[in-house]
Amino acid sequence: MAGRAARVGRPPKKKANPLHARGIGTVDWKDTALLRTFVSDRGKIRSRRVTGLTGQQQRQVATAIKTAREMALLPYTSTAR
Amino acid sequence: MRHYEMVVILEPSLDERTVAPSLETFLNVIRTDGGTVENVEVWGRRRLAYEIEKNAEGIYAVLDVNCEPATIKEMDRQLALNESVLRTKVMRRDPNAGARRGKAGAS
Repeated sequence: MAGRAARVGRPPKKKANPLHARGIGTVDWKDTALLRTFVSDRGKIRSRRVTGLTGQQQRQVATAIKTAREMALLPYTSTAR
Repeated sequence: MRHYEMVVILEPSLDERTVAPSLETFLNVIRTDGGTVENVEVWGRRRLAYEIEKNAEGIYAVLDVNCEPATIKEMDRQLALNESVLRTKVMRRDPNAGARRGKAGAS
């Protein structure tokens, strides 16, 4: 009970608005600068929890990153750490 | 007829000026089969995120093409046979994506 009360009481975590408020309707795999904001420094795709995108946008971004990887625009992995 | 976007990565040892003419020979495959070539964009030499066939760089070319599925398949096959082509990728794009893409580029 106490736990639940604490959860309810906590401020509802500021919702980071989707970065797509930049006026981007569809994600293009050629826009590497944008896609780089959705990958970690290891080259992994960031989770929805982190990106704050909608499901649709997250899928679009994920496929765009994957195509960009195939075309050697983004790394599959990068050991630079 | 469908709209395709095709990306070709060529060997960096080629002269960038010869890229467009040599792509033309491949694009003739599409033209003779009744397709149209909308746009040919040569990005030039770019660093690759990882090595492809021991090359750290590649010459990128993006082609926008309208043609039949069999035609693009044949062109892709011919490109893949060419030694100086490191990689190709054919993608389908929905036709109104272009407008939105333009908007994205402006912002």
